[in-house]
Amino acid sequence: MKQTVKDRLFLVFKLAVTLFVISPFYIAVIYSVKSKPEMVSNRLAFPKIIHWDNFTRAVETSGFGLAMKNSLVTTVAAVLAITLICTMSAYMIARKNNRLYNAIYYIFVGAMIIPFQSIMTPLYIDMTKWGLLNTLHGFIMAKIGFQIAFTVLLVSGFVKSIPRELEEAAAIDGAGLYSVFFRIVFPLMKPIILTSVVLNTLNVWNDFQMSLTLLQKKAVRNVPLTQYFFFGENSIELGLAFALFILSMIPILILYLSLQKYIIGGITSGAVKG
Amino acid sequence: MNHKTKKRFQEFTFILPALIMFSIFVAYPFLQGFPISFTKWDGMSPDKTFVGMSNYLRIFKDANVINATKNTLVFTAVTMIGSNLLGLMFALMISRVSKLNNVLRTCIFVPYCLSLVLSSYIWRYVYSDVFYDIFGVPSPLGSTTWVMFGLAVISVWRDAGYCMVVYIAAIQGVSSDYYEAADLEGATRWQKFKDITFPMIAPAVTTNFTLLLAWGMKVFDYPMAATAGGPGRASETVAMLIYNNLFTYFRAGYGQAIAVVFTIAIFAVSTIVSRTLRAREVEI
Repeated sequence: MKQTVKDRLFLVFKLAVTLFVISPFYIAVIYSVKSKPEMVSNRLAFPKIIHWDNFTRAVETSGFGLAMKNSLVTTVAAVLAITLICTMSAYMIARKNNRLYNAIYYIFVGAMIIPFQSIMTPLYIDMTKWGLLNTLHGFIMAKIGFQIAFTVLLVSGFVKSIPRELEEAAAIDGAGLYSVFFRIVFPLMKPIILTSVVLNTLNVWNDFQMSLTLLQKKAVRNVPLTQYFFFGENSIELGLAFALFILSMIPILILYLSLQKYIIGGITSGAVKG
Repeated sequence: MNHKTKKRFQEFTFILPALIMFSIFVAYPFLQGFPISFTKWDGMSPDKTFVGMSNYLRIFKDANVINATKNTLVFTAVTMIGSNLLGLMFALMISRVSKLNNVLRTCIFVPYCLSLVLSSYIWRYVYSDVFYDIFGVPSPLGSTTWVMFGLAVISVWRDAGYCMVVYIAAIQGVSSDYYEAADLEGATRWQKFKDITFPMIAPAVTTNFTLLLAWGMKVFDYPMAATAGGPGRASETVAMLIYNNLFTYFRAGYGQAIAVVFTIAIFAVSTIVSRTLRAREVEI
């Protein structure tokens, strides 16, 4: 009997803690559907009338459609490229044990520590020179470059756990390197590939600093930049700003909820920089 | 080309694309940074003036650098300790496998999916509309003393879920034999945590502390979005200072010198912290 009371109390505690952690979302959701006058009179109360038009007005006035398109294009392109080139090189780095490949491995280990600030100024100048500043493809390429070290290390740790026998058998049967990789190794990498897809998607989708540096024109603004500038202009009309926030959360939440198993698996298996 | 060289070349093509992208967009700019740091330059005009070590000497006397360093360190210390303590607490609370615990885990991790910009904005209103309007506690973001703590809380809220996930995996990896043996000897919960769980999850502690340290020292998004470095310069971090030197003050050369010292500092501190933590792992 005493045990069950204790268990119940613990259950209540757990639920209370979790509610407390997600409670800030209440503000975001409530504000996103409130009218201006109601925002003044009783901010935190549940809205009397739900103003869905905040969403339509926010989309119309902020250029959100364009931002969403820019974010989707950059994220999908960068993540696909990162996944392909990093799995290929991680495979070779994990399998070859000579000086060249080991040196590259250690360069990537060191590069993970490099803060964006240390390459910001030169990169900004190079991108201007190369005509890549304020272009989506320029941003995509820079983002790919910056995510390589982390992703290669994440994936190569996993490759070491894949037994070589299958590859060796296929090689004896006369399969080339590329067909061994794409037909045998790549499918076996599925868990780590999904992990790296999720972590890189979060990284590119939520990137603010590199975006702020490399995407300075309105036409190429992505979602975080649009939030940043829209908020600067509209701190009075809070309902619209928060409607925008809710909209921008949706794609990433869908991704998280559908692939969360791989996020958790990857964070713990890789346990490298996120 | 003989067979062996052909094979070697083919192998090299696997790492070539990654190597090219990394070299052009990370390694090359990184190396270019060094010569820039010895110049006086606005970041745009074609003429750079070589000034030798003077940028570097100036850094250590610059009150803004000292201020930004102090702000960054306060933020780093609070987020490192806060995220780890909370993350470990959450992990202990819901590490047992059950349907409910899975749902709770999912909820607690959700803040980590938000962008740092978005988290900052939501918390601005948590501080002003809940802390102040309901409890009468003024928003820390408006106070020169508390602003770094206020920003650190946002980061703890977002990252504690991440630490939790690492800790849960570590806790689940501890063999139940140890706990059974401890139960036989009549150990209390606290004793079990202190003598079994905590020593066994030492590698996870190292991982989380090193990670939070790296994130903390590079902090940029939170102060940029939540306070713009204010009030005054009370929340300007080193990363922001470097950004401002290029885009606000047009002192690219000086900013780059700060960036070089910043990189070396991050490298040194991360190495020392992770070495110390690893050494501790062995001891216990």
